Amino acid sequence: MRDFFSSPTAVVGTTLLVIVLTAALFGPWLAPYDPQTFHPIARLQGPSAAHWLGTDQFGRDLLSRVLNGAPSTVAFGVFATALGVGVGSVIGVIAGVSGGWVDSTIMRILDGLLAVPDLLFTLLIVTMLGGGMEHALLAVAVAFTPGMARIARSAVLSVRTRDYVRAAIARGESGFYIVGCEVLPNALSPIVVEATIRVSFAIMIGATLGFLGLGAQPPSTEWGLMVAEARQFMFRNPWCVAIPGLSIAMAALGFNLFGDALRDALDPRRSH
Amino acid sequence: MTRGYLIRRLLAIFLVLAIVTFAVFAITTVLPGNAAIMILGEYATPDAVAALERQLNLDQPWYMQYFNWVAGILRGDLGTSLRLSLPVSDVVGEAFLNSALLGVTALVAVTVIAIPLGALAALKRGTAVDLAIGLFSYLGTALPEFVTATLLLVFLAAPNSGIFPAGGFVAPWENMSGFAYHVALPAFTLGLILLAHISRQVRSEMAEVLSSDYVRAARLKGLTERRVIRRHALPNSLAPAVAVISLDIGYLLGGIIVVEEIFAWPGLGRLLMYALENRDLPVIQAVTLLLAAVYALSNLVSDIVIAMLDPRVRYA
Amino acid sequence: MTSPLTPAVTETTKAALAIRNYSLSYRTADGIVSALKNIDLTIAKGQTVGLVGESGSGKSSMAWSIMRYLPPNAVETAGAIRLAGEEILDYTPRQMLDIRGRRMAMVFQDPSTSLNPTIRLGEQIAEVLMRHRGLTKVEAMQEAEAALARTGITHPKDMLQRYPHEASGGEKQRVVIATAFACEPELIIFDEPTTALDILTARQILDLFNQLREETNVSALYISHDLGLVSRVVDEVSVLHKGVIVESGKVDDVFRRPKADYTRQLIGAVPNPDRWIGIDAPVNPEPLISLETIGVHYNAPTMLQKIFQPKEAEKAGFWGAKNVSMDVRKGELLGVVGESGSGKSTIAKVLAGLQEFDGKLQFDGKTFASRKDIDRAYRRRVQLVFQHPDASLNPRQTIGTIIGRPLKLYGIVPADKVAARVADLLEMVRLPADYAKRHPHQLSGGEKQRVAIARAFAAEPDLVICDEVTAALDVSVQAAVAELLVKLQKDTGTACVFITHDLNLIRQLAHRIAVMHHGALVDFFDGPDARSDDRDPYTKALLDAVPVHAAAEQSQDMMEGSAR
Repeated sequence: MRDFFSSPTAVVGTTLLVIVLTAALFGPWLAPYDPQTFHPIARLQGPSAAHWLGTDQFGRDLLSRVLNGAPSTVAFGVFATALGVGVGSVIGVIAGVSGGWVDSTIMRILDGLLAVPDLLFTLLIVTMLGGGMEHALLAVAVAFTPGMARIARSAVLSVRTRDYVRAAIARGESGFYIVGCEVLPNALSPIVVEATIRVSFAIMIGATLGFLGLGAQPPSTEWGLMVAEARQFMFRNPWCVAIPGLSIAMAALGFNLFGDALRDALDPRRSH
Repeated sequence: MTRGYLIRRLLAIFLVLAIVTFAVFAITTVLPGNAAIMILGEYATPDAVAALERQLNLDQPWYMQYFNWVAGILRGDLGTSLRLSLPVSDVVGEAFLNSALLGVTALVAVTVIAIPLGALAALKRGTAVDLAIGLFSYLGTALPEFVTATLLLVFLAAPNSGIFPAGGFVAPWENMSGFAYHVALPAFTLGLILLAHISRQVRSEMAEVLSSDYVRAARLKGLTERRVIRRHALPNSLAPAVAVISLDIGYLLGGIIVVEEIFAWPGLGRLLMYALENRDLPVIQAVTLLLAAVYALSNLVSDIVIAMLDPRVRYA
Repeated sequence: MTSPLTPAVTETTKAALAIRNYSLSYRTADGIVSALKNIDLTIAKGQTVGLVGESGSGKSSMAWSIMRYLPPNAVETAGAIRLAGEEILDYTPRQMLDIRGRRMAMVFQDPSTSLNPTIRLGEQIAEVLMRHRGLTKVEAMQEAEAALARTGITHPKDMLQRYPHEASGGEKQRVVIATAFACEPELIIFDEPTTALDILTARQILDLFNQLREETNVSALYISHDLGLVSRVVDEVSVLHKGVIVESGKVDDVFRRPKADYTRQLIGAVPNPDRWIGIDAPVNPEPLISLETIGVHYNAPTMLQKIFQPKEAEKAGFWGAKNVSMDVRKGELLGVVGESGSGKSTIAKVLAGLQEFDGKLQFDGKTFASRKDIDRAYRRRVQLVFQHPDASLNPRQTIGTIIGRPLKLYGIVPADKVAARVADLLEMVRLPADYAKRHPHQLSGGEKQRVAIARAFAAEPDLVICDEVTAALDVSVQAAVAELLVKLQKDTGTACVFITHDLNLIRQLAHRIAVMHHGALVDFFDGPDARSDDRDPYTKALLDAVPVHAAAEQSQDMMEGSAR
C-alpha cells in the first residue's frame, strides 16, 4: 500500500475519488439548501457567501444541487459498469476457457457488436426502450458488455498458457480447480483495472444521456441534466453550466486516475 | 500483405456488418414500442395504424421483415424515410459527406498534434513539460463532449463578444474560411478526448521504445540524439499509435452524434438524433450500419498502414 | 597492488584502457546502493581481458561506466577511466558522442533485441560509417558490405537488404559485430555475445571473435558469466563478485591457482564432463516408460485444408517431434540434449501429458495412444519441473499451498498431516520450514526452483521430467540444483529425464544421453560412450562446439593434486 501511494497519480486519483464518493454517499445531507427551493430574488448569481457556487435560473443553490445529484450520477456509473463488467466477464471467461468453436463464435458476435460505437449503441437501446434512468443504465451495461468480454477473454488467455496453469494440467487437476484457483485469481486484476476506468466512461455516457434528455428526467439533479437545463442561461451565468460540467469531469477523472494507478501497482513488472 | 489477405479481411467485414444488421434490426424492431403508433401519435385510429403497419411491413413476421430489409440493402435500396418522405440514401448521403468533413478535420488535427505531443512528453519524461502534457491528457479524457462544447460556447461563442459562431455549417467548396470558422469548435470538441488519449498512448509507447535495447545500441554507436529519435525511436512508436487511432475512431463516431447536435452540424449524428426522436426506422438503421461500416473499414486501413510501418508484420 | 615489473605510470599511458580505483553507486528508494567498489582494470593494446561474474556482480555496470552510458541515478564516487591515456570521465556528453562507435564499440548479448526491427541491416551498419567517417550513403553501403564479408557472411549484399527478423541469430550477431568493428575502434566491449545463441552458432561466433581479434589487433573487454568460455578467448581475467574484483591475473594462473574463495567456488561450479556427480547406474535395468514412434505436428492442417488444399496442407505447420522412440529405465537419469527447436521440450510436454501426440506411450504395462488416454495415476507418477520457476509457481499462492497441492490432490498424506509433510519436503530441498508462509516473489530464482522440485517430489513419482531446470539460474546455483536433484534421486529411487542444452553438465549426471535435432532423435548412447567414434556427426559437432573447459580440467588436476 505504501508503494501504491508513492505515485502522484494514485494520490490525486484517490483524493478525487474520496471527494466524489463522499458526495455520492452523504451529498444530500451535506447540502446547505433544499435543491428544489426557488429563490426568486437570487437568480443566476455567481459564487457568494450565501451561495458558494452560485445559483441557477430559478435561484436554486448550485452547491446543493450538485451535492444532491452526486448519488444518482455516480451510482449510475458504478452500477452500469458493474452490470456490464459482470455479464461481459462471464461471457469472456467462458470464451477464453472453452476455446475452439465456442470461442470463435462468441468472438465473431462480439466483433460485430464492437463495430457499433458505444454511444450509438446506448442511444439506440435507450430510445427504443423509451428513455429514463433505468433504461439508460441497462443500455450502458449492454454497450459495455462486448468490450469487457473481450478484455476478460484476453486476460484468461494470457494466463491460460502460463507454466503454473500447465503444471496444474500436467498434475491432472480438474477443470474447475484450474479455472477457479489458477486462472481466475491471476486474470482478475486486468478486469478490475478496466472496470475502474470504465466507471468514468459510464458516468460520462450517463451524463450525456441526461443532457440529451434520454436519461434522468426533470426535476432530477443529475449533472448532465443540470447542464442541459441551464444551457439557455449559460451566457448570463456560466457558473450554472460550468459547475455540473466540471463535477462530471472530476468524478470521471477520479475513477480514471485511480484505475491507472491501480494498473501500475498491479503490473507484475513493478512488483518484483 | 497478399491479395488473399485483403479478400479475407473484406469478407470478415461483411460478416461483421451482417451481425450489425442483425443487432440493429433486433434493437429497433423487437424491443417494445409500436413504431406505427409512435409515428401517428396516440390518438391514431386502428385502421390508420394497420395501414401504416402494412406499408412498413410491420405486419409480417420478424424474419421476413429482416430478410426484406437486408435484401433491400444488397440492392442498394435503403428504403424511404418515414418523416422526410425522401429516399434514405439521398438523406444519408449528404449527411455522411458533412460528417466526414467534420470527422476527418478532427482526426487529422488530432493526429498531427497528438503524436508530437506524446513524443515530447516521453522525451522530457519526469519534467514539468511531461507533467503538463499528462495533466492535460487526463483532464481531456474526463470531459464529456457536451461539457467541452458547452464551455467552449460560453467562452468563445457568446452572442456579442464571441469569436466563433455558435453553430451551423458552411461547405468548404463554397467558402473555405467560412468552413474553417464553423468547423473549429466542433472539431476541437470532437478531438479533445482523442487528443488526450492518443498523446498518452504515444507517450507510453515512445517511453518503452526509448528504453529498448536497440535504442541503447543506437546511442552506443555514437549516433546523434536527433538521429536516434527520428530514425530509431519515433518510427517504431508509430505503428502502435496507428492501432490506437483506429480504435479511437469508434469513439469519434459516437462523439460526432453529440457534437453535431450541439453545434447544429447537418451530419449523420444530427440526422440520427432527428430520426431517433421521430422513430424514423429506415434512417436509424441506415445510419447505424453506415457508421459501423466506416469503423470496420478504418480498422482495415489501419492494419494496412501498420504493415507498411513495421516490416515484421506481414499478413499472408 | 601493481606488479613491480610494470610501473603504474607507463602502464596507464600505454594501456588501451585503464581503470583506476573506480567506484560507482546508484541512488535508489532504499538509499545509496554500491555497484562497483575500487575497480582496477587494465587492458593493454591488442589484449583481451575477461571480466567474469554472476548476475548482479556489477559486470554490466562496468560496461556502462566505460561507455559513459549511465542512468541518471548513478553516482560515480571516485576513480579514473582512461582510454589510451585520456581521462574519459572528464569528457562532456558531446565529446563522448564522437568517441562511442568510433573509438569504443560494444557487442551486446542478444542480437534480436539490440538491432532495430524496422530498419534494414545494411543501414544499421552504414549509419555508423556515415556518422563517424563521414562517408556518403553509397560509400557507407559498400563499406558495410565489405565489413559483413569479413565476418564470414556468404552473401553480404543480400544481407544488407534484409530486416532483422529475416536473419538468423548467428547472422544478426555477425551484423552487430561488423558494426562494432566498422570504424576500427581501439576498444570493443563484448557483453556476453554468445549467451543468447545456440551451441553451434555460439562456437562460430567465438571463432569469429578470435579471428577478428588477430586481424585487427583490437583491445577487448570480454564480459561473461561462463568461466570455461572466457578461458578460451582471453589473456587475462578479472573475477567480479558483488562489485569488487576479488581476483585478477593471467587466465592460467587464476584457474590453476585461484586465491580467492569465490573464484574457487566458481571454478568448482563449472560443469566438468569428467567429474561424475550422478548416482550409480541401476544394476538391473528395467524399463519404466517407453516412447514408440512419437510424433508431434504443430499447426497441423485442419480437415478442411486437407480436403481443399492438399498441397498446401502437406507443407502446413512443422513437426516438433517425428518418429521418436526411446525408453526410460527405473531409477536412471536420462539426458535429452539438443539446441533450441530440436524437439527436446516437445518430448517433455508429451511425457507430461500436455501435448497431443501420434504414436504410443507404454508405462507400467499400460498403453497410451493419445493425450486424452492419460489418466490421473499416470499424472501422479510422472511429474514435470519447468525451466522458469518464476512462471511455474502461481504468484498468488503461498509456497505451502503450492507444495501441499499434490499431497491433497493425490491423497498422499491425510489432510491433517499435510503441513508437516510440506515442512519435510522443504527440508528435503534445503529450504527453511517457515518458507511455507511466503509467496514466490519473496524467493530467489534458485529457491523458487527448489520449491518447484519439492512440488514434483511431493507426489512421490516414479519419473521426474526436468525441462532445462538449470538454464535460467546462475552458475553456482545451477550446480547446487543439479546436486540436489541427484541427492533426491538417490533417496527416492525416482527416475529422471533431464532435458538440457548443456552438454558438459549432462555428462556429469546422465547414465544415458539422447541427442535430438530438428525433431528427430539422432543419437542415443550410454554416458561414458559420449566420445566414442561411432557417435553421430551431429553429436560430435555439438561436443566439439562446447568449450573444452580448460578451467574445469585444471580444477580437476588441482583437486587430484591436492588429494595426492
